[in-house]
Amino acid sequence: MESTEAQYVEGCSLTPIVTEQLWVEKYAPHSFTELLSDEHTNREVLLWLKQWDSCVFGSHIRGTSDDTLSALRRHSCTIQKNSSSRSFFSKSRGAYVMGQDSMPQKTPGSNSEDLKSTFHKKPSVDNAPEQKVLLLCGPAGLGKTTLAHVAAKHCGYHVVEINASDDRSASSIEPKILDVVQMNSIMSDSKPKCLVIDEIDGALGDGKGAVEVILKMINADKNNDSDRSNGAEETQVQKASSRKSHRTAKLLRPVICICNDLYAPALRKLRQVAKVHIFVQPTISRVVNRLKYICKKEGFKTSSIALSALADYTECDIRSCLNTLQFLNKKREALNISGFDSQVIGRKDMSKSILDVWKQVLQKKKLKRAEMADCNVSGDKDIGSLFSLISNRGDYDVTMDGIHENFLKLSYHDPMLHKTVKCLDVLGVSDYLTQYVYRTQHMSLQAYQPPIAITISRIVAQVEKPNIEWPKALQRCRTMLLEKKDTLKTWQNRMSPLISRHLSVESFVGDIASPFLHILSPLNLRPVALNLMSEREKNELVQLVDTMVAYSVTYKKTKFEPQERANGSIVPMDIPSLSFDPPINDIISFKDYQSEHIGLSLAMKQVLVHEVEKQKIIKDSAGKLLNQINEGVRSEVPTTTCQKTATGTACDTSQGSSKGKSSTLPMQLHSASSLSGKGLAPAKRPSSRPTDFFQSFRKERPGGAKTHIDAGQQGATVQRDLRPLIFKYNEGYTNAVKRPIRVRDLLL
Amino acid sequence: MLWVDKHRPKTLDKVIVHEQVAQNLKKFVAEQDCPHLLFYGPPGSGKKTLIMALIKQMFGAGVEKVKMENKTWKIDTGTRTFDLELAMLSSSHHVEMNPSDAGFQDRYVVQEVIKEMAKSRPIDAKGKRAFKVLVLNEVDKLSREAQHSLRRTMEKYSASCRLILCCNSSSKVTEAVRSRCLNVRVNAPTEDQIVQVLEFIGKKENLQLPFGFAARIAAQSNRNLRRAILFFETCKVQQYPFSANQVAPPLDWEQYVSEIATEILSEQSPKRLYSVRQKFYELLVNCIPPESILKKLLTELMKKLDSDLKHEVCHWAAHYEHKMRLGSKAIFHLEAFVAKFMSIYKEFLCAAFG
Repeated sequence: MESTEAQYVEGCSLTPIVTEQLWVEKYAPHSFTELLSDEHTNREVLLWLKQWDSCVFGSHIRGTSDDTLSALRRHSCTIQKNSSSRSFFSKSRGAYVMGQDSMPQKTPGSNSEDLKSTFHKKPSVDNAPEQKVLLLCGPAGLGKTTLAHVAAKHCGYHVVEINASDDRSASSIEPKILDVVQMNSIMSDSKPKCLVIDEIDGALGDGKGAVEVILKMINADKNNDSDRSNGAEETQVQKASSRKSHRTAKLLRPVICICNDLYAPALRKLRQVAKVHIFVQPTISRVVNRLKYICKKEGFKTSSIALSALADYTECDIRSCLNTLQFLNKKREALNISGFDSQVIGRKDMSKSILDVWKQVLQKKKLKRAEMADCNVSGDKDIGSLFSLISNRGDYDVTMDGIHENFLKLSYHDPMLHKTVKCLDVLGVSDYLTQYVYRTQHMSLQAYQPPIAITISRIVAQVEKPNIEWPKALQRCRTMLLEKKDTLKTWQNRMSPLISRHLSVESFVGDIASPFLHILSPLNLRPVALNLMSEREKNELVQLVDTMVAYSVTYKKTKFEPQERANGSIVPMDIPSLSFDPPINDIISFKDYQSEHIGLSLAMKQVLVHEVEKQKIIKDSAGKLLNQINEGVRSEVPTTTCQKTATGTACDTSQGSSKGKSSTLPMQLHSASSLSGKGLAPAKRPSSRPTDFFQSFRKERPGGAKTHIDAGQQGATVQRDLRPLIFKYNEGYTNAVKRPIRVRDLLL
Repeated sequence: MLWVDKHRPKTLDKVIVHEQVAQNLKKFVAEQDCPHLLFYGPPGSGKKTLIMALIKQMFGAGVEKVKMENKTWKIDTGTRTFDLELAMLSSSHHVEMNPSDAGFQDRYVVQEVIKEMAKSRPIDAKGKRAFKVLVLNEVDKLSREAQHSLRRTMEKYSASCRLILCCNSSSKVTEAVRSRCLNVRVNAPTEDQIVQVLEFIGKKENLQLPFGFAARIAAQSNRNLRRAILFFETCKVQQYPFSANQVAPPLDWEQYVSEIATEILSEQSPKRLYSVRQKFYELLVNCIPPESILKKLLTELMKKLDSDLKHEVCHWAAHYEHKMRLGSKAIFHLEAFVAKFMSIYKEFLCAAFG
């Protein structure tokens, strides 16, 4: 009893499954000619696949004679109705002829020639196409997967599909891909495989698995081109290698990747190496024809108007159309044009790219004549679709920025600017709303953002296509503002706190910057040596240097100073110019604005840099000096011995050529002796000094050290040496260390 | 050193401009105690100077030995812990800081950092001053939450610590905080007072001021003492002895705004608005606060406006400034004001000339 009942139940549940095959599958195109997608794309894909032939099929390829072509053409007429003829394709390798058969009539020469040339070439070279991966992208339901399958079968491949439902971590996917791409099937029919990776952009997890593996193979391929020392680890090539010295390439089978979003970040690298085909919607009439055919077959009564409306509504998503029709058929309902919204057809929950959103907002849809009549209805529909579009996108902040960036460039008629005012007011409301939501976390209020965009759309949208730009300005403004504030803050930290406490960023920018720059570059300062200046000028200079030190401003070398360029004087590129070190003059440089501020001359700047440096050293050393003197006296004795040994060792290095010079330059001698030993060590530190100068300086020393130093002198020099001599070698100041003097003597 | 800093009065006795305020502050010093203080007034009026002078009067020269430090505070909110870095200026008697630097985390600065410092009683050998002083700058930029947490601190630790708050506008300080402080209004100095200060500096620097020169600079400075002194020094640097009709070069950003104003007055169209937008961006990038831009733009526009329109334009400027403070994208509101102005102006022109 029970068993029969179970059987009965089983039978019941089984029957509908058998009868109700999905229409989508039932009527899926089985041959190339049945494809609904765009003819051009189909051909391109096929052509690409054909380019693999010489690589994959090797010597099996031969040119097609005209009679076979015509025979096939005859055959192709029947094939459309007769899906069983598909077996023919799988059997005969000559299926690729179909590709030539369906080549565009306009350019039969170039394409077929191209193909033939690849055919005629000996497969000794790797004849795989330039781009080894095909990337098909486009919205759902247009037949990307179908195309890939059909085209691959058409060319005599065995299709292996990896899609989102499979495990696709990098580790598990790699052997799989390698299997497909490099192994040969040992099955009886031994068709080469073609890999189709479906939905490569989605469900990739963190590893981006598939993309990485493919890229690796492509790269390996490229490397192989240069050196052919790659182990023959692939069994696949047996056939080829037996024939000729076929090189082992990594990627030996066509790979077709399918994605929805071409610009998904995971695909960035793949995009550069793959041949990309973007799917466009097939024409509505094509879709409707197919739908009609199917409906007729299934005995479902519809009108072509209803079908075309359906196709339009689903944006030519054939899968969705068929599913809907099948569902309605099952429910025994008729397709009703007006009731699409209430009917079963689900709208796809698709978020468009933000650029599309802006485009939709700023571009008015062209009204068709039929819709003109019921303008109100279509208007409502527009608002509805816009609303869902914007709210699906969600990113209101960026959306509004984009609208703000672009709406002024539209050519709307607005003599009194009422529309502009209205738009900006509304944008202001949106800004306030965002701020309020962030502060109070009432996220539900965000729902009022789309109507704001719709309002703007209603006010300014134009029929002509807007030239949408990404709202860079606002972002740039924000980052640069932060950057500048940061520079000012760090500058403030360098100043003495007694000054910086009164110098907030606001007050500096608002009040101080402009006068400060004027004060820093007095007009009547002459770039002459200090001793040539009048008393007043000296005073002014001292004041200026004092100010610069106090506010820790100095000049630094830059490659190029725009200010001088603007003034017309030509600055040679190799001579670096000096500009303010905290770039405070940036604060007053606006675009299209010529400031009254005139910078100092280069020579004057150099003088100032020098003076500022000097002042800083004086300040630093002032504190240290006292301690050092005390220490120096105490540790006199031990250092003398040190010095003696130091000079002794130094003598050996160079003795010969010192005599002649030592007589002519007694001053130098003196300095050399005083600097010997200890003095040399710190002097070695600066790296930018010319070597010749110091070599001559070194040669002087031994002679002097030997002959002229008596004990008393030595004591004096040692004491002097104890004060560490730190100097910076400046280009142009050759008299820097010719006399034994203290740095503070130099400075004062 | 700039004259602004060089001739800044260091003690309350030397204050020239706000003598009355200084006198009152001196009384606190004499009584050796003071309440919490809130200084408010426009920029360049001498708030900071008064505060510094007051502190010096209280604690003596010790407060001038200040050091700047970037301290990192560990904040534990219960749900998460994070580090908060804050720059502060401190001497042995007082601490200065700018809590609004912490942005939206300013609440924690008040709750944790200030409380922490307020708690610790300074150790003073003489026991004379049993409190330390915390100077908080830009209190008006503190968020509402931070200000709310401030009031409890003010009450609880008043025994060991005095707060001196400093801000531009007291209207943005909550009522609760204001009522806990002695409010000290620091007016913008009058032009006469500025002239007085400039003459004082002139004497110190041994300069000959021609008649009316100081007054002219004072007028140019817009009653901002800092600006006046800087202008004065600029003039000195550019040309001395001063000529009879010498003026200081204008501030660059103000010059730029007035260029924008002429642009707006010459053409009113969306296209022009777009180019104005780019210029606004230029200003904003250079840290010019949008409020000042709007204010300056309004004054520039006012100069060339028919008196019938003035009232209306002012109204809208206020309207959009209010919006601007509520929102966060200043450019939207600046632009909206310009658009509104263009609209009003164009309508007026059309009505007047047909």
